[in-house]
Amino acid sequence: MTSLWLAWRTTKRYRVRAVLAVIGVAVIGALLFDMLLLSRGLLASFADLLNSGGFDVRIVGSEGMPIVRLPIAGSTRLATELRALPEVRDVVLIRIERATLWSNERTSRPVTLVGTTQASGGPYTIVRGDDLPRDSSFDRCPILVSRRLAASLGVEPGSSVKISVNPDGVRSALPAVSCRVTGVVNFFFASAGENSVATTMTALQQALSGPGVDADLILAASQPATGPAAAVRAIHRVRPDVRAYSNEDVVALFNQNGFAYFRQISFVLSSLTTVFAFLLVATLLTVSVNQRLGEIAALRALGISRGRIASILLWESALLVGGGALLALPLGGLLALGLDHLLRQMPGLPERLHFFVFQWRAVATHAALFGVTAAAAAAYPMWLTARLPIAATLRREVVG
Amino acid sequence: MSRWFRVTAIALLSAAALAHATDSPVDAQAPGVLLSRQLAARAHVSIGDTVTFAADPEGTRRVTLRVAGIYEPTPDPMRFTAQRLEAHLHLPDLVALVADEADPAAREAVDAINVKLTDPGDAARFGAELAARAPGVAVTPTSRARDDDPFAVLDRFHVAISAVTVIGATAFLLALMVIRAEERRDTVAILRLIGISRRSLLAAVAIEGLLIAVVGAIFGVLTAFAAEGLVNRVFQARYDTALVFLRVTPSIALRSVAIALPLGLAAGIGASWPLLRGEILSLFRR
Repeated sequence: MTSLWLAWRTTKRYRVRAVLAVIGVAVIGALLFDMLLLSRGLLASFADLLNSGGFDVRIVGSEGMPIVRLPIAGSTRLATELRALPEVRDVVLIRIERATLWSNERTSRPVTLVGTTQASGGPYTIVRGDDLPRDSSFDRCPILVSRRLAASLGVEPGSSVKISVNPDGVRSALPAVSCRVTGVVNFFFASAGENSVATTMTALQQALSGPGVDADLILAASQPATGPAAAVRAIHRVRPDVRAYSNEDVVALFNQNGFAYFRQISFVLSSLTTVFAFLLVATLLTVSVNQRLGEIAALRALGISRGRIASILLWESALLVGGGALLALPLGGLLALGLDHLLRQMPGLPERLHFFVFQWRAVATHAALFGVTAAAAAAYPMWLTARLPIAATLRREVVG
Repeated sequence: MSRWFRVTAIALLSAAALAHATDSPVDAQAPGVLLSRQLAARAHVSIGDTVTFAADPEGTRRVTLRVAGIYEPTPDPMRFTAQRLEAHLHLPDLVALVADEADPAAREAVDAINVKLTDPGDAARFGAELAARAPGVAVTPTSRARDDDPFAVLDRFHVAISAVTVIGATAFLLALMVIRAEERRDTVAILRLIGISRRSLLAAVAIEGLLIAVVGAIFGVLTAFAAEGLVNRVFQARYDTALVFLRVTPSIALRSVAIALPLGLAAGIGASWPLLRGEILSLFRR
């Protein structure tokens, strides 16, 4: 009979406590698994979101986090210069403004208006209708509206609306311009409560009453052969006064500033849950071994070696911890869905951003941590049985 | 509205701050500036020193100010990872430094105006009225609605994690109490044999479960109190901030005890129930 089989028989004999221990490990393990998913989930999701548009360099006019945007002086000329760079494959100008969209005389919604020179394949998926037209000479103000906004105003592709822009920090009452809805889309970067509208840069400039309106964000796609880092260096050579960040730079900045809280809580809770699981399994095994000292002494008296007894205890620990750790994976997955839903209620987060993202690395770390926990939890009971005086224990059992 | 406007000049300006530890009569008349503790330490300046602020890296537009004081920035949980390199200037001094001389209206422009209402409940009405009178002005209340508050979401996240931890801990407690009950199988059998009622035995295990829960809860609360200072010191040093990261309040301690007691009681009774309910002979495995 192998040590594993003996351990399994012991576990079956004390099935109530074993089931409870496995449930406890599973619940704590689920929390540990979730914290491991959280430790890099937001970063992975953010990187995925940035890469989804197909552009790997972001150019802004201000220093610091490239979320704070100022208009980039001479952006159209800069875009022409960047397109000529051998390190750059494609360039897109973007300007974001607050605006009001009127579906009729009485119904309006505040919206985030994005003007872009990207004619198709922008950071959105088309739900109904068509993309922005490549040639804007036929349609002076084509717009894409978010699904939420379309449902809220009852507009569909082909509907006519009016848009008036409310530039930040400028006291103005710009006239409304007539626009036509070409498509209903899901924007990648829009938050849950945000009404978003995309249009061509020409249309946005028209709405702002001026062709010389600068972009506040320029996206560039680097040549695959040279990569984004070379593109960033080349852009700085062309215009040292602007700030260019590769997607990796943006993620690194985000990791340093915006992600600190979740990194800390993930680290603290992962450590605590591991220690918690170790303490509880070690306590259960120790109490269980103390209860079975007579039985263990009898086995030793029958000639079963110290090593074999230690091996049985190690397997018992592995069965409890391993069973719990296996159950923890699906349980942790379900819990992660709930916690992710909870955290995504934070205001202003893009709908596509997730806090908990499945990664095989998290599964491997989870398995490694529980392997160490099982071994560590069995260490003290193994030491107890290794130094067990056989005769004295048997006598105490009989007399007691 | 406050009589004095104060504008925070962050990062860009403070990066250009230069310290000149001189005591000339001119310096004594220089306008005052308040520096954040972090900026004062970074620039190696102290109260009474004069510093030069420039609006551009070349220093073509600059102003000399006297450090009137050093302050601890109000801790902001939304910006606890940011380096608080800040200075507070009187508004006219900052406007003189940064205003575009070619634009006559620039000297009248500010980024924001803080307004303290007589009745804070009037915020929505005031905002609507101001927006109607001054199109293009964004009016934002400083108090957040519960739904818009990221810390309300974090609070719910913490509660959810606590609930999961409590469920895991309960399973372990139950397992331990089951072991303990099995250990005393023979004792319970003898006690029942000599006539001790089930009710008395039930009361005994309930009291035992309660005592274990009380001791565990008190130990947990004391550990939390002990960890509070350590955690705060570690994170305050890590992020160079006065922000309090962890605070164990009496209400939190009471809530922990209030959750632990019924759980301990239930675990004690639940684990011993099979022994108390069964036939006496079955306890002797007969």
